[in-house]
Amino acid sequence: MENKIPPYLIRIAYDQYNPAEIKRAKLSFLDKTIINSSKAVKSIYLQAENSARDNFIQEINPKVKFILLIYMSVVVSIVNNPVTQILISAFIFLSYIIARLNIFEVYKKIFLLVFVFGFLAILPASLNVITPGKIVFNIIKFNKPSHFLIYNIPQNIGFTTNGIQVVSLIFLRVLNSVAFALLVVFTTPFPTFIKSFKMIGVPDTFLMILSLAYKYIFILSRTIEETYFAFKSRLSGNIKNSNIRRLIGGRIFFIFKRSMIIYQDTYHAMVSRGYCGKVVLHSQNHFTLKDVIVLVIIVISGIVFILL
Amino acid sequence: MHIPDGYLSPQTYIPLYGVFAAAVAVAVKKVKKEVSARDIPYLGMAAAFSFIIMMFNLPIPGGTTGHAVGSAVIAILFGPWAAVVAVSVALIIQALIFGDGGITAIGANCFNMAVFMPFTAYYLFRLFSFSSARKGRVFFAAFISGYLSLVMAAVLTGIEFGIQPLIASSSDGKALYCPYDLKIAVPAMAIEHILLFGIVEGLITLIIIRYFLRNEPGLIYAFRKGGKIENK
Repeated sequence: MENKIPPYLIRIAYDQYNPAEIKRAKLSFLDKTIINSSKAVKSIYLQAENSARDNFIQEINPKVKFILLIYMSVVVSIVNNPVTQILISAFIFLSYIIARLNIFEVYKKIFLLVFVFGFLAILPASLNVITPGKIVFNIIKFNKPSHFLIYNIPQNIGFTTNGIQVVSLIFLRVLNSVAFALLVVFTTPFPTFIKSFKMIGVPDTFLMILSLAYKYIFILSRTIEETYFAFKSRLSGNIKNSNIRRLIGGRIFFIFKRSMIIYQDTYHAMVSRGYCGKVVLHSQNHFTLKDVIVLVIIVISGIVFILL
Repeated sequence: MHIPDGYLSPQTYIPLYGVFAAAVAVAVKKVKKEVSARDIPYLGMAAAFSFIIMMFNLPIPGGTTGHAVGSAVIAILFGPWAAVVAVSVALIIQALIFGDGGITAIGANCFNMAVFMPFTAYYLFRLFSFSSARKGRVFFAAFISGYLSLVMAAVLTGIEFGIQPLIASSSDGKALYCPYDLKIAVPAMAIEHILLFGIVEGLITLIIIRYFLRNEPGLIYAFRKGGKIENK
């Protein structure tokens, strides 16, 4: 009996090709890019949603939060005692509980960031090759000490007490900095928050660019996702590496052109609302007694952390 | 390349904040003088564009991917001063919303990637491309400007890391910030960028500039500022 199945259904599926064999590549890295963009957008959504809630921390004046963000970042950066850093971690964790954020989700994000930059990158510093000291756990033992280029390699290589202290301190410092920054960001609407930058003399023009960029990123991420999946839905078979490069160039060029259209539309919208080239951002938030109390409590806590 | 909090001492990040603030102040003035009022949203777009470029991953040998910083391509497309503003904005948003780069390190990150890198890339591009109108030369210049500017910015970052044990240690000699000295930090930063990320940056710069050159060369700032290109 004659086979009546259409040829496109018999053809080997795109995913079953082995790119290594035919020297062609799949678009998995583009998928990753698109997924990253989507994650970024979701992250912004998450932030916008949480920051809009009525809650004790969410209601604090953004200017106070901005002052506290800078203050606590400096405090965390100058506290050199790991035990005090643990106390700061507890303080920040308590603030997350008060803010009623999804602690599991937020700390998952925090630990993901901190694991790479605050642990993996710094882990070799716990070895005596980097931080000399008493070895508490031996890893390798050579016959004799040696010299390689400009590096001295000791006979025994292992973790030292001093090294572990250095790694602990930096890990906790990175953890606390990221956790506090995300606490402020997740409890404050970003467009309101950036207006607080005026307090340290950031020009209005720069803040307006910052505010516009924030909105454009959101729009562009969605545009990229939509156009990419529209492109992929029409794709059959795999694609040459050279075509991938052309595709990336084309996508970025498309983004650029799309951005230009958005910017021209934005400009016309601004002109229709009275924009005449002078950028002035107005901030309407006033300090309340609660803001002052929070400011005083955290400033005193910071001083205590430094003195401990 | 994004320095997190905790790696740099106040002796390092405070002066770098100062240098960055001065550079941004000059950049905003220069850009306002160079472009009209209607181009303020244009810079917002450039910043978003810079942010998006940082999200485009490219496959590299070993099955992993790398992404470009985008400062080189932004400097060539928009001009170095516009790149200072655009890349700074992108880095600030990254640090605040995505935790990519520290709050105390914003000055250092912006200095390395939004001030030093765009100017290096822009002038390398002009140096390598403008003596010839051949497209091949321009493509080479695009690659080399992206590649070298990132490698040089990485070395600068390595120096910032490497000086920490010298300027900020405890009384018993323990490192309080980045524990890697110059002979570890500089080669570590340089080697991975020479062999891997520099190539990614160079390729991304080349791919984008080639596409723009073929489709709308008039949009490229470096060519509007006196460059010439043959039309084949």
